[in-house]
Amino acid sequence: MFNLLILCALFINAYSLETVNKQIVNKNIERSIDLSSQLVKISATLTVENTGKESASNILILLEPKTKSNVSYISVKNSLKEELKLTEVEVQDHKSKQFYKVELSQSLQGGRTIVLTLEIVLTKSLIPYPSSISQKDRQLVRYFGSHYFYSPYNTLKQKTTVNLGSRNIESYTKLKPVSQLESTIVYGQYANVQPFSIDPMVIHYENNSPFLTVTSLKRLIEISHWGSIAIEENIDILHSGAKLKGPFSRYDYQRDVGSSHHSVKSYKTVLPAAAHSIYYRDSNGNISTSQVRVRKDWIELELRPRFPLFGGWRTSYTLGYSVPSYQYLFKTDKNQYLLHMRLLDHIFDDMQVDLLETKIVLPVGVSNVQLTTPYEVERLPDSLTYKYLDKKGRLVISLRKTNLVEHHIQDFEVVYEWPSSLLFHEPISLTFALYVLFLVIIIYVRLDFSLHEAKSEHVKTQ
Amino acid sequence: MIDTENMVRYISPVNPNVFPHLTFVLLGIGIFFTAWFFVYEVTSTKLTRDLKKELLLSLVASVFSGFGIMFLLLSVGIYV
Repeated sequence: MFNLLILCALFINAYSLETVNKQIVNKNIERSIDLSSQLVKISATLTVENTGKESASNILILLEPKTKSNVSYISVKNSLKEELKLTEVEVQDHKSKQFYKVELSQSLQGGRTIVLTLEIVLTKSLIPYPSSISQKDRQLVRYFGSHYFYSPYNTLKQKTTVNLGSRNIESYTKLKPVSQLESTIVYGQYANVQPFSIDPMVIHYENNSPFLTVTSLKRLIEISHWGSIAIEENIDILHSGAKLKGPFSRYDYQRDVGSSHHSVKSYKTVLPAAAHSIYYRDSNGNISTSQVRVRKDWIELELRPRFPLFGGWRTSYTLGYSVPSYQYLFKTDKNQYLLHMRLLDHIFDDMQVDLLETKIVLPVGVSNVQLTTPYEVERLPDSLTYKYLDKKGRLVISLRKTNLVEHHIQDFEVVYEWPSSLLFHEPISLTFALYVLFLVIIIYVRLDFSLHEAKSEHVKTQ
Repeated sequence: MIDTENMVRYISPVNPNVFPHLTFVLLGIGIFFTAWFFVYEVTSTKLTRDLKKELLLSLVASVFSGFGIMFLLLSVGIYV
């Protein structure tokens, strides 16, 4: 009976909703919104005070309405720059709102304050307006946000700085006090803002930074214990800015050398410093308009698609390279290996990736495979693939994730067991195949298809 | 996440820089023995043929050619 009670208690506890702790107050919020690229990067420094007597072990972060599907990355760090654990939660009386619960490393005592840094990256939140422009026009976009930091707590003081990266501002909402200096708009300071208060902010400005979306990125990592790891990326890119209206004139395009193009001529990809055997091709074959520059700590690859990309245009290509295995492969134990590599790598600055599919091809004959990922990803069922000189097939781990940005360039780890004697599997199978060929010849020369009796030959030799 | 700083890096048993040289040497020996084997097969008659010699020649030829072909694949960038 007692056990049942505990079970019930646990059950209720697990399904109980969070509540907003009214004792917590945002003492000061400094928020900065960076709109200079195609992404919306919001970072805020929150000074949170617990005015009550009971200590609080967690606080709530609230997303602005209708932004849930656009949030690509969210993180909260404390003053020691340690990342705090975030979980999505539902809150009583506010079920339609999107909350995150931040678990503090040390519970916040009554009367104490804590400083947290919140970072959010939104994709697809800058809407081109007008939505289609001609070749010579400038690209104008609109951002929809809130003048107030959206919070479930009472906010005493707050200030927002918006960086637009461009001086050409068509219009912006003016909730006093507001000031504009060149490409920066400062909203606030606003005092005593009530919980859940929102005031629409609209900024209409020029943004000619490349609006490129990677609609699909298929990354293939292939390990060879002969000393190399091959990486191949199949990339589909769409220019997601304002669509091109009217015709495209190559003549005007060549003549107009101004840098304020909304079209994309080329971009830079950063590869690991040890990368070699780099190739860049599409379904037609090699694309010769690429340049490799070796920098001190990385390799810079300038990629120029076959045609400049305008709004709504798309391109796809394959980029591949090899890296030596000693950089990423470690031996943890006898016959046990660890692969430590990036799940997603850089394609261009301020990139946004709609769909990532990473496939890891392990050597022939692996067992006890364990995977650790830096963030939550969907693991697709394992499959087998056949490469050169394979009879058994290689295990393929497939991972999938949607809506990624540069912050997701992090390492995964795969631990597997693999007997090192299998290194000789390929040369021995080649040797065996050749030996069978020789044996066939040895048997063939012993076959006698002649109509004459062997005697005559016997006589000849005598 | 495990700290990789203090871990033993996996190094290939053969330095990738010597793959082309190995290819030349191994394939050279392999082709030599293959040629010897074929010359022997063609020139010998039913009476002078020695099965032991044939088997030994073909074994040496296939072992060297087998390893030679693999290092050829490795040196051109097909990592098996």
